[in-house]
Amino acid sequence: MPDFSSGTVSEDTMTATTTISLSPEDNPAGHPLPRLSGGPLSWHGRFEAMASPCEILLDNVNHQDAEQALAFAARETWRLEHKFSRYVSDNQVARINRSKGQPVTVDDEIALMLDYAARCHDLSEGRFDITSGVLRRVWHFDGSDNLPDQDETDALLKLVGWNRLSWQRPRLTLPEGMEIDFGGIGKEYAVDRVLLDLEQSLPEGSRVLVNFGGDLACNGSRASGKAWTVGVEDHQALSDSSKTLSLYGGALATSGDSRRYLQKNGVRYSHILDPHNGWPVPDAPHSITVAAPTCTLAGMLATFAMLAGREAEHFLEQQDVQFWVQR
Amino acid sequence: MQLKNCDKCKSKPVGRALAAATCALLGVQASDSLANGQPGEWDVETALLVYSETDDRVQAAEPVISATRNFDGERKLNLKLVADTLTGASPSGATPSTLPQTYTSPSGNGNYDVAPGDAPLDDTFKDTRVAVSANWEAPINRDYAYSVGAYGSREYDYMSTAVNASLSRYLDNKNTTLTGGLSLGIDLVDPVGGAPVGLSRMPIDNNKSQAGFDQEFSATRQSDDTKTVVDALFGVTQVINRQTLMQFTYGISYSSGYLTDPYKILSVIDDTSGANYGGNLIGADGNSVYVYEQRPDTRLKHSLYWQTKYMLDNGDIMDGSYRFMIDDWGITSHTLDLKYRWRMGKSYLEPHFRYYLQSEADFYKRYLTGSEYNSGARALTEASADYRLGDMTGLTFGAKWGYRFDNDRELAIRAEYLLQTNDGDQGFGSLAGQDLYPDTSAAWVQLSYSF
Repeated sequence: MPDFSSGTVSEDTMTATTTISLSPEDNPAGHPLPRLSGGPLSWHGRFEAMASPCEILLDNVNHQDAEQALAFAARETWRLEHKFSRYVSDNQVARINRSKGQPVTVDDEIALMLDYAARCHDLSEGRFDITSGVLRRVWHFDGSDNLPDQDETDALLKLVGWNRLSWQRPRLTLPEGMEIDFGGIGKEYAVDRVLLDLEQSLPEGSRVLVNFGGDLACNGSRASGKAWTVGVEDHQALSDSSKTLSLYGGALATSGDSRRYLQKNGVRYSHILDPHNGWPVPDAPHSITVAAPTCTLAGMLATFAMLAGREAEHFLEQQDVQFWVQR
Repeated sequence: MQLKNCDKCKSKPVGRALAAATCALLGVQASDSLANGQPGEWDVETALLVYSETDDRVQAAEPVISATRNFDGERKLNLKLVADTLTGASPSGATPSTLPQTYTSPSGNGNYDVAPGDAPLDDTFKDTRVAVSANWEAPINRDYAYSVGAYGSREYDYMSTAVNASLSRYLDNKNTTLTGGLSLGIDLVDPVGGAPVGLSRMPIDNNKSQAGFDQEFSATRQSDDTKTVVDALFGVTQVINRQTLMQFTYGISYSSGYLTDPYKILSVIDDTSGANYGGNLIGADGNSVYVYEQRPDTRLKHSLYWQTKYMLDNGDIMDGSYRFMIDDWGITSHTLDLKYRWRMGKSYLEPHFRYYLQSEADFYKRYLTGSEYNSGARALTEASADYRLGDMTGLTFGAKWGYRFDNDRELAIRAEYLLQTNDGDQGFGSLAGQDLYPDTSAAWVQLSYSF
């Protein structure tokens, strides 16, 4: 029970949770408002976006800056969520997916994303493909044994393939029936984007960690020189069963979701689909976590490793990065 | 076969190429978050105000265009152009009477009549004004910023010029801003027909030869005149917390020169008992006596202003302000202004209420008496019947509705209604039957679009 009688309890020493107000315009999906706790110089901000719990940890930051940083992080994340989501009906992604073969002019940020998707498609020799989302029309990873027919997947393969669309910055022409989906990049990109912007706007010496549902990045260790301790969800637990991890710098991203699979005749079908044949990549790990300088890079390496199936560990060893694989 | 191919590609070290691609993705700032106030673009605001007083009094239309160029987020140039056209009738200051009244128009080239019982309005009132201003603001260093500006306006009988500068000091992580500002204005007053000599009798051409009238008229005129205004202000803006902003400003303003309204007059009322007791005093030429008003040639004003803005958790904004003004003319005024901005998705509704209370100037007189006029050897040196210097209460109700198309474009419409009441000495004799303080009501609508 704190002693309030002395009257020395100042705002700085209080650890009450503050709710940050943001306008409805900044919050198109109507998420709950961000909440900030901690102090006087270490803060924990929380909000929701991209179907994940999002948090920012701040060290060596005053109260006012912490509130501004959290407000900014939520606004920016919600903006990116709204922008890249394929579930929003009035964004550029929706316009592209409804374009029926007509060219669509995109803005710089989408253009950068498309350039990146093209490069990833190239570097993965076609395995990473942002047009492969249509395969989910027949693949429902609900843990059941309902596999689609080969005919169904073959039919959909006609609508898959980065090479089928025409991308000439800033115009994208997507054949009718095809769709693009930034789901495999958006969250990690948001982590990096928010971290970079906070690093720029906060005073020098501020330490920041951004964690969106286990995909995270920080600008170095905590102010004390110690590692950040981050709680991770159980199914993303790393080599041991501990639910926390320590991070001194860089970023971590995890690919895979043990809850999303199909099982038939003793064969487990992962939710990682190979766009070449429309079927799950055989022998893909349950989960892969990669450490890299940026979250986007870590996430992409983890995704590439997933697509490599039984060669996942081998692929990662070749990339000279730290990784954790759960089979 | 495929498996073999794959093994080859899977073991290919793509990390470096992927890292380079990732840098390209992250190295460029997001462009979609650009909004108003970003460097390198003009933010333009256009507006049209239509103002109308009841009973065919002043009508005004005022288009405004304002453009702000943002250089690097902190350095800004604003240019503004305003054009006004005013038409209609304005109270001359004379009292209504049981008899028809005749006045000389300001130019001296004619006269106009007012029917018994009617408020004397000068319906020759017509003006157009064009005003331009430029303002530049920029930081000096992390702790200081300055702004400089210039203003000029021109209307038919008036020219106004001003320069201003201010310096701001930031303290406590910009939570506190101290601002000091100075403005110097020089106005040139060149009334139609020349500026009248204060408290001289308005010549009326009834029962006179043209030459006699002209001579009398020119005797009441002086050359054009100037007015200088020096304003200084000192303000503190304080961020109280993330939701509350407070501002205090003290302002001092000193005007000197020609401060009189050349078109305002006073009726002289016969205060000797008899048939005309309480009616217009009739001069030796058989015409009613009216005198041109005369105000002091200096004015020192002090004002205190306090404003608080508070943002609620749901994004609504409450904005309240209070101003207290006192001057050496004997006027004190209180202004209370309240707004509530109610946000609803892309649009907002902002109801507005304003209350204004003013006491009269020491030299405010609804009329002069014959004794005060004393056949031209006046017992006083300053007098004005301008209702704007009298005891006054004003209530304004209004609302603004705005719609934001996106970060840059907003359309807004504002409608306001003003009811102003004056009060004071009710007169005597036959004057007591006249409405000396008719209410003024006005309505205006402003449509604005910014992009």
